[in-house]
Amino acid sequence: MPIDIEKFKPAYEKWVEESLQDYQAGKMKEIIKKYPFIVPDGIPWTSYKGQPSEQTFALVTSGGFYLKGRQPPFDTVSIHGDTSFREIPKTVHQEDLAIAHSHYDHSLAEQDINIIFPIDRFIELEKENIIGKVAETHYSFSYVNDVVTLVTETIPKFLSRIKAEGVDVLFLVPA
Amino acid sequence: MAEEAGIPTISMGNAADRMAHIRPPRALFVKFARGSMFGEPGNVKRQRRIILDALDALKTMTEPGTIQELPYKWKRPDPE
Repeated sequence: MPIDIEKFKPAYEKWVEESLQDYQAGKMKEIIKKYPFIVPDGIPWTSYKGQPSEQTFALVTSGGFYLKGRQPPFDTVSIHGDTSFREIPKTVHQEDLAIAHSHYDHSLAEQDINIIFPIDRFIELEKENIIGKVAETHYSFSYVNDVVTLVTETIPKFLSRIKAEGVDVLFLVPA
Repeated sequence: MAEEAGIPTISMGNAADRMAHIRPPRALFVKFARGSMFGEPGNVKRQRRIILDALDALKTMTEPGTIQELPYKWKRPDPE
């Protein structure tokens, strides 16, 4: 694993302790400066093979999207952020989605989700056979600082879902 | 971690410093603000074009950590 979580954990816990006051005061630049970013030893890599027209694509965003009235919003208060994800169906429409993320301006995405989550464009490309298939399920994360829980609990769960669905390629769009 | 599990990824990004930290396996860099990686709301043509750029990048990026800068500018027409 290129991410050494055992090494990160104490550095992260120290960061939480030292940054909580600044976080609560909204001093985001200050706390990001102190965040113990991990520089991976190597870049994880799987060679791309095949043709998009024969493959299944899934979108992953960190835009904080959730299904209005059907899924709980993300935690936007905790310094840890929210380590969970929401499953967004292929059939989603703009009006079905809400955004819970306090650290970017989502007013434009509220007008057009496709600027972070270009699901409508993917469906058009599927109809034109430029891509093989748009996965039935896509994924939204939100603001997360707690990489420990993310890496040890959330990501394995997420990977088992995308593998079960036969996803060939992930398109990652940070907010 | 997806790549380690055998699933190739392509990422969007708009912050060179952050991308240098995170080192995504394959990435497209855009000069747009946070929250609008595919450009202006309603710019369907541009959204489509960026996805097509990503499909090309999947085939052409053969070195881990490749970042390609896209030429699009906010509220300016796309280059031919």
